[in-house]
Amino acid sequence: MVALSDEAPVQPVLAAADIAVWYGKFQAVESASFEIGPGEFVSLVGPNGHGKSSLAGALAGVVARKGDVRVNGRRIPSANPIAAIRAGLVLVPERRHLYPNMSVQDNILLGRYSRTAKRLARNAWAEVVGVLDLFPELADRLAQRAGTLSGGQQQMVALARGLAAQPEVLVLDEPCLGLSESVTARVYEALVKLSATDVSVLLVEENPSRALQVSTRVLHVNQGTIVEVA
Amino acid sequence: MSNFGNLLLAGITSGAIYAVFAACLAIWFRVANVLNLAIGDFAMIGAIGTAELDQYAHLPLVLAILVPLVASGLIAWGFDWLVLHPALDSGRGHSGIVSVFFYTFALSFVLEGAARLLFGTDVHAAPALWAGPALSFGSLHVERAGILVLGLAVVVGGLAAGYLYFTMSGKAATACGESVVGSKVVGIDAHRLRRQIFVTTAVVAALFGVVESPLTGFTFSSGPTISLIGVVAAGFAGFRRPGRAVVAGLLIGLAESFLGGYVSTSYNEILLYTLLAVVIMIRPGVLGLATAH
Repeated sequence: MVALSDEAPVQPVLAAADIAVWYGKFQAVESASFEIGPGEFVSLVGPNGHGKSSLAGALAGVVARKGDVRVNGRRIPSANPIAAIRAGLVLVPERRHLYPNMSVQDNILLGRYSRTAKRLARNAWAEVVGVLDLFPELADRLAQRAGTLSGGQQQMVALARGLAAQPEVLVLDEPCLGLSESVTARVYEALVKLSATDVSVLLVEENPSRALQVSTRVLHVNQGTIVEVA
Repeated sequence: MSNFGNLLLAGITSGAIYAVFAACLAIWFRVANVLNLAIGDFAMIGAIGTAELDQYAHLPLVLAILVPLVASGLIAWGFDWLVLHPALDSGRGHSGIVSVFFYTFALSFVLEGAARLLFGTDVHAAPALWAGPALSFGSLHVERAGILVLGLAVVVGGLAAGYLYFTMSGKAATACGESVVGSKVVGIDAHRLRRQIFVTTAVVAALFGVVESPLTGFTFSSGPTISLIGVVAAGFAGFRRPGRAVVAGLLIGLAESFLGGYVSTSYNEILLYTLLAVVIMIRPGVLGLATAH
């Protein structure tokens, strides 16, 4: 178990114990255990193919897993993304997975779906409009179709959609994958702003030096196991 | 001029029928990325079921209408439970979606066969909900059932548009068709929404069968033709846009009416299949191969 650092509070927001992920006979994650405290910004680094994204997906319930995941002490069942979101754990997936033919506003709005499912869209927007404070460049593009945005702007929308759920823990899976250096820098500016909020963040990142720019702790994944803490 | 006006009214009326089925197809495609080729058969159940229960079982009209509607909903719910859910949610992804296209095709055959067994091959029509001779406005004549069809089309179209564009649930339904992973990560229960819309569109189709059958009559084999017209109209709207599908349905109705009035009704099928060929050429995803990622 990779425990919280000395400075971190005792009660973790996210506690993962003995997480294992299998795809048929292939084991992507062997036995991952770690905790994240309130407001912590933790990065999960390691080479491609060593189980980082599988671990992120397992935490968020989009990938089946073995092992125990708790958010504020509340157990999250395996392969149940709705339970994860209701408990406050939200995933911003690798490659964003936006709704390309829907507007930027609708994309962000749907981030709040778990709590506004029976509402009119107009009323629900009032609850999420605050996320634009972190991404002011999106304010002028709310009516634009998300699929027509640049890669960097799409990543902003994905982050805004994740934050619209008002998560306790935000899991960001490779937010800069496939983006140019300049766009990556812009995304990291947004992550720095995010690190100043109360939201606990688990950032999955292939590039350790990049992760260190924003992280309070770095976990290293190797062969599906968390092997060290930097 | 009166001939033109009457053809126009007839075209709008039949176009409204096509428009509703096209909208039903487009709404479900929007959430599931699959065409429901059994949509016309649900209309057949509504029309023939009501006719049989009214004329032979002598049930009160309200009950004679409600029973087939409920039956259509139950059939749709059962089909989702038995077939759609395992096929679409088993994680087989692309192949699952292609399979489901054929499953809805199979459902159409099953419903057609069951209707033939139960009701025979005669033409059936539910009792007119607004009985009486055609209404005349000068030299223009319009059937009362046609007015009901138009009115119901407007109401259903308005409700569908309101649901899709103004409610969170409607937006979530659209999101399901846009991105499977994207809908999961925001907590959308795609299966539940897909089932709700499949059942609702089946019941709406059955209701339309009841309302329009005094105009057209129904046999056990009427369903596939209705579904095909719906597919053509929805295809021109990219399958995902119910509003455009409604317009396309109206245009097909008008084209059929004018072609029948000024040339010959025997060209109607040629028109339909020509339009279908055009749809397949410009929208190759017609076979259900277009899928969300």
